[in-house]
Amino acid sequence: MLFQIALVAFAIFASFRTWKQYQARHTSKYWFLVFGLFWTVVAAVAITPQTTDIVAKYVGVGRGADLLVYIGLVALFYAMYRVIMKQQEQSDELTELVRRLAIESGKEQLPK
Amino acid sequence: MDIGASFSYHLLSTRIYLPMRIIAVIPAYNEESRIGAAVRDILGAVAQAVVVDDCSQDKTGAVAKEAGAIVLTHAVNRGQGAALQTATDFALDHLAADVIVHFDADGQMQASDVATLVGPILRGEADIVLGSRFLGKEAENMPVVRRLLLRCGVIFTLVLSGLRVTDSQNGFRALSRHAARDIRLTLDRMSHASEILDLIKVKGLRYQEQPVTIKYSLDTLHKSPSTWRALGIARDILKKKFVP
Repeated sequence: MLFQIALVAFAIFASFRTWKQYQARHTSKYWFLVFGLFWTVVAAVAITPQTTDIVAKYVGVGRGADLLVYIGLVALFYAMYRVIMKQQEQSDELTELVRRLAIESGKEQLPK
Repeated sequence: MDIGASFSYHLLSTRIYLPMRIIAVIPAYNEESRIGAAVRDILGAVAQAVVVDDCSQDKTGAVAKEAGAIVLTHAVNRGQGAALQTATDFALDHLAADVIVHFDADGQMQASDVATLVGPILRGEADIVLGSRFLGKEAENMPVVRRLLLRCGVIFTLVLSGLRVTDSQNGFRALSRHAARDIRLTLDRMSHASEILDLIKVKGLRYQEQPVTIKYSLDTLHKSPSTWRALGIARDILKKKFVP
């Protein structure tokens, strides 16, 4: 029971933070809706955990809690992959930007 | 400064001599105590030296400029591979380089070896010439562990890239204009040496090795990549080759 209360409280807190970020225009409407939906689902599952058992049985996993762990792991690994790819892309772009600035500074040293 | 003053001459089969413009590119990071001597040394052997100050916290850029180099400044530290590519782009596009020599800022390399490196390119025998520490001229004060790691690097290069070399991690090399255009470095940090070897094979470039002298000192060894970094280089090149 305590865990359920804590999870719902955290979902409310996270939703509030997402709303504040959206209001301050630090995040787009798309990500506000995605995270809003996500935290709503988290709260719903925390309140009625037995609902996940129905889905778990449907997809062939014994318990709802196990299904959530599997989905969570897959989602986390995929998110990590996306972050690494994005970070590499930004690193390449930063190198290109730094290079262009450096070359511009070098042109000023060429004899007229 | 007359940057067109120094040329070497390229002998064609028809016995016509064409002037070849040799440019040294030098990546540098926190090298204020050594870069001046390195620039003055190399300027005796090439038409111009381009130093890339990779966001040093000391006066590397100012000292290099004072010594006579053109200095390109990276506003953010991007690593040795990125610095080499920046200098190469500049040398090709703005200095009309015919031959590019990769040279270190720390004084380990000797400008007197430049003639040996560029010779095969000037004679039209190679597109890229790699310096080697294991072809007669012994490296001075090289630690045993490094010697063993370099041997492993040679085997790794042979297995992965199919390239037979005696020294896979020597930063002293010369590239023709055509080779410098073909070899575009994408590994920003220390793994560029392996990337160059891989691209030589992929692009079908003609290569040679020539003996060069590398002088290690306690100071420069301290600044060199750690032994464990070798594993990082292997990881980077595997990633680049198989997970583009």
